[in-house]
Amino acid sequence: MNDVVIRVQGAGIRFRRNRRGRRSFKDLFAGSNRRARPNEFWALRGVDVEVRAGEAIGVVGRNGQGKSTLLKLVAGVMLPDEGRVDVHGGVAPLIEITGGFVDDLTVRENVQLTAGLHGMSKAEIDERYDEIIDFAELAESVDTPYKHLSSGMKVRLAFSVISRLEEPILLVDEVLAVGDKAFREKCYARIDELLAGGRTLFFVSHNERDLKRFCTRGLYLDKGALQLDGSIEGVLAAYDSDYGVTAV
Amino acid sequence: MTLASPSRPPRTPARVYRQTLWLLTSRDLRVRYSTSFLGYLWSVLDPLVMAVIYWFVFTQIVDRAIGAEPYIVYLLAGLLPWTWFNGAVGDSTRAFIKDAKLVRSTRLPRSVWVARIVLSKGVEFVLAIPVVAIFAIVYGAQLTWGVLWLPLAVVLQAVLTLGLGLVIAPLVVFFRDLERAVKLILRFLFYASPIIYGLADLPDGLDVWASFNPLAGIISLYRASFFPEEVEPRAVIVAAAMSLLALGAGALVFRRTVRAVLKEI
Repeated sequence: MNDVVIRVQGAGIRFRRNRRGRRSFKDLFAGSNRRARPNEFWALRGVDVEVRAGEAIGVVGRNGQGKSTLLKLVAGVMLPDEGRVDVHGGVAPLIEITGGFVDDLTVRENVQLTAGLHGMSKAEIDERYDEIIDFAELAESVDTPYKHLSSGMKVRLAFSVISRLEEPILLVDEVLAVGDKAFREKCYARIDELLAGGRTLFFVSHNERDLKRFCTRGLYLDKGALQLDGSIEGVLAAYDSDYGVTAV
Repeated sequence: MTLASPSRPPRTPARVYRQTLWLLTSRDLRVRYSTSFLGYLWSVLDPLVMAVIYWFVFTQIVDRAIGAEPYIVYLLAGLLPWTWFNGAVGDSTRAFIKDAKLVRSTRLPRSVWVARIVLSKGVEFVLAIPVVAIFAIVYGAQLTWGVLWLPLAVVLQAVLTLGLGLVIAPLVVFFRDLERAVKLILRFLFYASPIIYGLADLPDGLDVWASFNPLAGIISLYRASFFPEEVEPRAVIVAAAMSLLALGAGALVFRRTVRAVLKEI
């Protein structure tokens, strides 16, 4: 068996129920005490998952049941209030992928900036720059300010940068719903390629076909807890029987 | 294309921090300079215009008995660091809000969002130093050995500003009122700090209290380049202690609140 690359142990995270509620200094500094306060709820609790290198995992569940939250915990952009999340190796997060781009800078500058922020060295960026631009099909727009790109182009560019990070773990959060069909196919092909190269995939989607295409193992999240951890077919079947139809 | 599992040598946290800090700082400066026509001049123009205004008021209108000669150099030596302090503390109220999307999508060390503000404003400050030099030459201010205090002044100010930023940035996410409160406090602080005057100009008794303002000691160190008699040991020691205290408090507050900040933005 391969090494464990992601280990989630008893992880839990809670959120405030209403944003308008009063927040006191005491709340803020209370640290991670285990008692849920009255105006808070656990978005996830007691989640245990071990992922080995090379596994492709699909996360299934209704909206608001903690799928994206789990992904963010693994990505390290949120911290658990209890339990642990250990990730060995770098992560290429396809979460809010267009977030790092700056409107006033050109496509070229943006590629350098975003790739750098995600941990690529200058030499690596130079080496992969042409590939990134080719993949995004933006060779003619490298000196265009980012704000003048169409929204489809922006997503293309972002996907292109993040998918070239060469990190061992790839996190995908429903970003593939955007973009035209041809580009989506290209993205899928790219993900296939990465999987074939031994990457670990963590995939959140409502699309049964995509989940079956990429994933072998499934996690079913419901009511803030991990209900089932098994083969993707088994997990999708359980989800179907709980909620009738799967959104396709 | 390489498909084998990558085996990049792991980068040390310190290197990640440095690279990130540099990228974000150069991004800030590039955005500022690429979107505005006057670019660099803006970092100089603001303190310069202020200096000219106060110079005019206190030498041409009122018969001034504050500061030292040449007054314009005296003013600039206080106003440039103030612009850095004011800009960095003011911007730190928006440290997380402005880059919310990036904070949400990258696992960079979180304090970098504050540190990069202190650094990019600091770079602008350093770039503006030649302006003081020009005025010093034109008005015949003598450079003294006091210039050796300059590095200490910069370090103390960076530590102080970073510490305050680390307290303010996360708290503003929960208490938006703080953003306006900080602006108001900064305006008060401008007159409460020895910028257009010196510590020695204060009435007896008041100068003791004023030296507990860390900016007093720091600005006196900056002025030492041309006005070595400005340095007041008590104020400098207080400034050093307060700066370290601010950094300690900042680190503490930041660590305790960062978890909640990430949920909120």
